[in-house]
Formats: sequence, structure tokens, C-alpha cells
Amino acid sequence: MSEFKIEKVDMSKDPSLERYSRQMRFGGVMEKGQRKLLDSRVTLCGCGALGTVIANSLVRAGVGFVRVVDRDFIESHNLQRQVLFDEADIAANLPKAEAAARKLRVINSGVTVEAIVTDINRTNIVELAKDVDIILDGTDNFEIRYLINDVCVKFDKPWVYGGSIGSHGQTMTIIPGQTPCLRCVFEAAPAPGEAGTCETAGVLAPIVSIIASFQVAECIKILTGQPETINRELIYVDVWENITRRIKIAPLLGKVDCPCCKHKKFEWLEGEQGSQTTSLCGRNAVQVAHRVAAKLNFDELASHLKLMGGDVSYNRFLLKFTVEEYEFTVFPDGRAIIKGTSDLDKARVLYAKYIGH
Amino acid sequence: MPIKVQIPQAMRQHADGQANVDLAGANIKELLDNLGAKHPNIVARIFENGQVRRFVNIYLNDEDVRYLDNLQTATKDGDVVAIIPAVAGG
Ligand SMILES: [Zn+2]
Repeated sequence: MSEFKIEKVDMSKDPSLERYSRQMRFGGVMEKGQRKLLDSRVTLCGCGALGTVIANSLVRAGVGFVRVVDRDFIESHNLQRQVLFDEADIAANLPKAEAAARKLRVINSGVTVEAIVTDINRTNIVELAKDVDIILDGTDNFEIRYLINDVCVKFDKPWVYGGSIGSHGQTMTIIPGQTPCLRCVFEAAPAPGEAGTCETAGVLAPIVSIIASFQVAECIKILTGQPETINRELIYVDVWENITRRIKIAPLLGKVDCPCCKHKKFEWLEGEQGSQTTSLCGRNAVQVAHRVAAKLNFDELASHLKLMGGDVSYNRFLLKFTVEEYEFTVFPDGRAIIKGTSDLDKARVLYAKYIGH
Repeated sequence: MPIKVQIPQAMRQHADGQANVDLAGANIKELLDNLGAKHPNIVARIFENGQVRRFVNIYLNDEDVRYLDNLQTATKDGDVVAIIPAVAGG
């Protein structure tokens, strides 16, 4: 007695579609929608808790091209919620994007997964965004989200915001010109330490799955060409306090004096917002970015560091070394995450001392 | 029946740990002033120079007060007011 039209799919014509048969039987997708998914391209910004759940679902759903962008490496405290990683990835010292891509390619060899290990900033965001249909947010900070928002409004691309912490999370879908943008709803980023981070406030895996799953559902609606079905509210869920809210935000469009979508001022993309050296909030770590223009030679750097008394190990993706009370993770593009300090100046000094400039 | 004000997790330490505070007030401004009178330390978490901080939103019965009458939006018994900051984690 289903209201949905049941479409008979003749798999003998195209056996490659068999793995998607249950999704195609769903009236909202069908064979037409599935073919659109297979022809679609997505950039996923950030592959941590939300990002791994999103990437897993997108690849299983048969989204034809998924670009996974992440700046980080895997630590044991990620495994509680970052579903694509395991202990072997930590032992192999893999960056998150690379470890995720390896899993995803095993899950579905019929789609293309591109891994990019980089810090998303205004110099590379256009390149990462321009050749895809939609951007999904798996980041953990508002600097990058405002950058995504700028790019998407400027180039008229949809994106889906998601955030989660503790037992609660939020998500909203942005279709430029049709819905309020992120800056219409949240005018400014929380100051460091103000909003809490997963490191300070903790996070439960179930809220991550819920928010990420909302994001994927929105993505499937848009990619199958049904933007009229998207969620136009700000969804807020708390799995511990049993709260589900749907906040009406549509009237904010045009009502608030948004610098981004109303005045087309792209302050994060074109301005001087954002910095090369960033404190990774709550982690007692600092990222020092892109001091070195050329690709680092890990063989040379490793022997230099050993002479300086450091404990060094590396593969082609990252180099780790421990010296004094600091743990460095260095990427081939010259970027480093220095654990053991939250002091930006101290981190710059350490970088100059051990890695150079 | 009073008006229920929901306090976000990140601000509860400034409200004796409470998730909800029952208050009276004819509009959002009065309501939040009454909240501040009861729990003075929460004021600086919600307001900056007399304005609601830009990453904190105030929702009245799931509507954003910015498209209603902002802090002057009238409130009545039985309303639910939620203070919700942006969620950064991912
Ligand atoms: Zn806007």
C-alpha cells in the first residue's frame, strides 16, 4: 500500500547498478536519481567525525566523485566516532584524508575518491570547489565554514553546514539566493574557547551520525535534482536532553544585512581574515602553515632532525618527531602541527628552530 | 505559567547548572534582564556592548527574534525561549 511508485529496474541491462537496487527502489531516487548520483561530484571539507560518516554514506550511495580534503593526522581519541579509521591507520601514520580514501575505495571501487591533505584556506578553496556540484561541511571551525560560505555564494553552489559537540548538533542547507546563508544565521564566529570544542566539551558519536546523516540526505536531494525537497530550517538536535528543534530561518533572507549574500562582500575569501599560524583550540597544539614554498624532502629533514636529537619517523605522507616536550607532525607542503603548546609565538620559534623557514 | 528560558550547555555553569530557568518578562529584553539579575555571570556570555553576541541566537518558539522585533519581541506566558550559540565542532 505504499504511496511510492515502485519502479522495476532491470539489472540485467546494467549489472553495475545492482548494488544500488535498494536505494533505487526508493521512490525519491529511482534509476534516474541513481544515474544522477553516479554523475555527481562532491567536495567534502574536513574528514573527522562528521566527515567520515558523510564520506562513508556518499560513497556507498554511489556519488561518482568524492574529493576528501583534510589537514590532520589520526590519533587514538578519534576512533570513538571517526568511523572510517582504525588502529592500523594510526600505526601506519596516515593522514585522515589518505586513510579515508583507502577505506572508501575498498567499499566502492565504482566511484572515484580523491584524497587531498591540505589546510583549506583562501588560496586553495576555489580550486577545491569549482569543479563540484555541492560542498559538504565536515570541518570543526567557523573560519573555514565562512570561507566555504563565501565561495558558495560567489559561485552559486549549494552547501550543507553541520556542527556537533557534546550531545547536540546543528545543520542547515544553503542554496545561495534561495535560503539564508551561514552569515545570515550566524553573523560571526565564536571567539576561541567560547563555543567549546570536542576537546574541551567532549562529543558523543550518536549526535555526529545524526547531523552527518541529515547532511547526506540533503546532498542526495540536491544531487538528484530535487532542491524543492530540502530542509529550509535550522535543525537542532540534542540526543541527551531529548530536544529536537526546527527553527524557522527562511525569513532571515533579505531581512538581515548580510555582508556575504546581500552585499556580495566576500571577506573571508578576498580579505585578510585567517592566518598562517592557528591555535588548534583545546588541543594544546598549534598549526604553522606554508612557510616553505617547495615540497619538503623528508629524507633530508629526518637526518637533520636526528642530528638535533629528535626521535623521528616518516612515510611519504607525514613526518613525526618528538623533541623537548613537543610532538611535531610535518606534512610535505611544509605545514606542521606542533603539539605541546598553544602559544603561537612559541610555535613559530619551534618551527624556525627545527624545520626552518 | 512562566516563560521557559533554555540555557545552552556551554553557559550553564553561570546559571547554577540549570538547563531551564522559568522567568517572567513582557519582551525578550526584559526576560534576559531578569535572567541576568538572577545569574549575573551569564550576562557577559550573551551580551557584548548591550547587543546579543554575534554568534549567539535567540529563538522564541523556534522563530529567530531577528525577523520578529528583536529584543523588543513581545513574550507571553507559556513561551519557550532558547539561547543557542553556533556549534563549531565537527
Ligand atoms: Zn547571507
